[in-house]
Amino acid sequence: MDLQPIHAPPTSFFWKYILSTDHKVIAKQFIWAGLLFLAFGGMLAMAIRWQWAYPGAEVPAVGKLLFPRSGGVITPGTYQSIFTMHGLIMIFFAITPLMIGAFGNYCIPLMIGARDMAFPWLNAMSFWTFVVSQLLILASFGVQLGTAAAGWTTYPPLSTNVGTPGMGQTLVVMAIFVTGMATIMGSVNYVTTVIRFRAPGMTYMRMPLTVWGLWLTAILNVLFVPVLGSAALLLTLDRTFGTQFFIAGAAGGKGDPILFQHLFWIFGHPEVYILILPAWGIVSDMLSFFARKPAYWYKGSVYAMCAVTVLSAVVYGHHMFITGMNPLLGQGFMLLTLIISVPAEVLFLNWLHTIWKGSIKLPSPMLFALGVVFVFGLGGLTGIFLGTISTDLYLHDTMFVVGHFHFTMAAASFLASFSALYFWFPKMFGRTMNESLAKLHFWGSIIGITLVFGGQMVVGYSGQQRRLYDPYQYTFLSHLHGLNKATSFAAFALGLIQLVFVVNFIQSILMGKKAEKNPWKIGTLEWETDSPPAYHNFDVIPTVIRGPHEYSNPEVTKLLGRDWLSQTEVLPEAIEKDAEAAE
Amino acid sequence: MGTVVELHPRAREEFTSSLGMIVFLASWAMMFAALFFVYGFARSKSLSWPPPGAPSLPVALPALNTAVLLASSATFARGLRELRRGHRSAFTAMVSVTFGLGAVFLGLQLLVFRQVAASGLSLGDGIYGAVFYAFTAFHGLHVAVGLAILLWVLFRSRGAAHGTDRGSLPFSEHNTIAVRVCTMYWHFVDAVWVLMFFTIYVL
Repeated sequence: MDLQPIHAPPTSFFWKYILSTDHKVIAKQFIWAGLLFLAFGGMLAMAIRWQWAYPGAEVPAVGKLLFPRSGGVITPGTYQSIFTMHGLIMIFFAITPLMIGAFGNYCIPLMIGARDMAFPWLNAMSFWTFVVSQLLILASFGVQLGTAAAGWTTYPPLSTNVGTPGMGQTLVVMAIFVTGMATIMGSVNYVTTVIRFRAPGMTYMRMPLTVWGLWLTAILNVLFVPVLGSAALLLTLDRTFGTQFFIAGAAGGKGDPILFQHLFWIFGHPEVYILILPAWGIVSDMLSFFARKPAYWYKGSVYAMCAVTVLSAVVYGHHMFITGMNPLLGQGFMLLTLIISVPAEVLFLNWLHTIWKGSIKLPSPMLFALGVVFVFGLGGLTGIFLGTISTDLYLHDTMFVVGHFHFTMAAASFLASFSALYFWFPKMFGRTMNESLAKLHFWGSIIGITLVFGGQMVVGYSGQQRRLYDPYQYTFLSHLHGLNKATSFAAFALGLIQLVFVVNFIQSILMGKKAEKNPWKIGTLEWETDSPPAYHNFDVIPTVIRGPHEYSNPEVTKLLGRDWLSQTEVLPEAIEKDAEAAE
Repeated sequence: MGTVVELHPRAREEFTSSLGMIVFLASWAMMFAALFFVYGFARSKSLSWPPPGAPSLPVALPALNTAVLLASSATFARGLRELRRGHRSAFTAMVSVTFGLGAVFLGLQLLVFRQVAASGLSLGDGIYGAVFYAFTAFHGLHVAVGLAILLWVLFRSRGAAHGTDRGSLPFSEHNTIAVRVCTMYWHFVDAVWVLMFFTIYVL
């Protein structure tokens, strides 16, 4: 009995596009869901930047429509909601579905040579559960007193009924719980699929690094998203059933608000690695693919990612240095936090070694990958100041923190998602994207990102607190208005340049040039199937005989006249023997 | 590469399903671990436990309840063994007993709630009250889901016996995947209860 039988593809519209169990369709569903919410979260960011450039001024064009009761002005209450929802939407409803939902689903089975996920139905349920959580988010905007307004971290007592009354906050907390369920369903699938469904010969050490990153992320998701689930559950109980887990002090109760912070960050710190590990994997692969060189010290990259996965679970306390934590405990967390930079550095040096003396080609996926290297380098270096207690005491809750996590978590995963999108687009849709527009999108984005988040760091270092409605009320910050305004204009430009992508994406799907089977000349398994692949991916499950990064082998070039070798290709004997001798 | 042991395809499929369930239960265990963290954190910050003025919890009835739930685990495990041997009626009987014991557990748990409420502890009594009611109720919800699953197992095994269950895996001695996965969930819910019993009621 074949464990992965070939089923006939569904024919009706509903089973083909709506309730499909095909991982490739589900991946596309996640792309659409993620991109729509990315645009939504991006517009919220524009609103925040408007407020920081022109505090209390009427929002041009759409202000009267969106905020009729205040005459088009963003009020302090609305502002709270806007930055709260910007954070939550970007993290849980834009990056997560794009990075993990879309590329996890698309790449894992194709790159390990499987016909689908281990549990296709669970996969479909994961997407539709995710849609429910998105609907909850949308609904929260429509209720009395508006949507959530307690910051993305949702700390009590601000997030309790006393701090943020109304149905909106409750709906959002429930949405987080539901989206957590969706993530767990997806991750159970990813973890199991990678363990059980690798094609013959696809050993762990022959998996593309993309799959490694996605797999480790899935493991972290499985273990730590439920902790957030518990926190959301208890907060919901506090808000609706009158329990007192987190309500204390003036809010009137005998609970403990700090307890929530522990739960939140036990999840929250792994979460930042959940978002960055797939990016690391994708970048590691892209650099090798387009420098036309084997990835430098592949195993080192794998070990480094594994080490980060393990360490990410034991550093969460660095978010809580100023909560009155025992100083000895704080020092422990500081030490562990700084240790994480060692494997991260190994990975980073591997990237540099990979492109060193390569025959670098610069198509859009490579540009975006190099962009990740740049912004992640900046973000990573500035993280050291935040992981060290003595400097963190001053930088805590300033715009410096905001700039730091936007460089690492937002910019790096955003750029990596687009690297992946431009790279796998021909495979997914069977068409080619416009390369000039893609490059324009890249240059606009990377310059915009550097200016916006760099600007945030500079004002933060000058002492500007995060989340201030009008920072310039404070005399010591009033001189930062000019810098903030300039940063805001960079942000508007960054927002506008995304339209280039929208145009390119829609246009290419509808009438892009037909893509070849293997347009980038890459050796991983997904490029051996048609573009787009058949419903069952592979007519015959491939047998893998080598790693994913076989480029510029001089013997192969001499023999085959090309600089790449697929993971399944059997070479004439002579060359095989040479390779064995070299090993 | 080491030697590859070729398993029977059915065994491989069962392994995949069980592995998925193990991963899922690991995830669920972390959810309960977070709840136990809340309990430990609150307790370590409290000068006395129960906090001054709060009543202590009963032990006798919950102990009985623990025994009931453990017995149900044993009967379900026995049921799976019977199914593997092909004793269909014994299997159905064992699953029915498991269902009965699970229902008794929920009933007794409601009694415990009434007993505790009568002793003056309410849901809004700080972390102590919240931990007791919310955690045991949350666990009770899992038992209720387990009961629904047991009903489904009973229903499916009936349908299969009459040969009407087209399109789904009939439970036979050769194919016990679905039942096995259900037993894993049930044992997990039991194990969580044993931990809850010792932390919340006994210690």
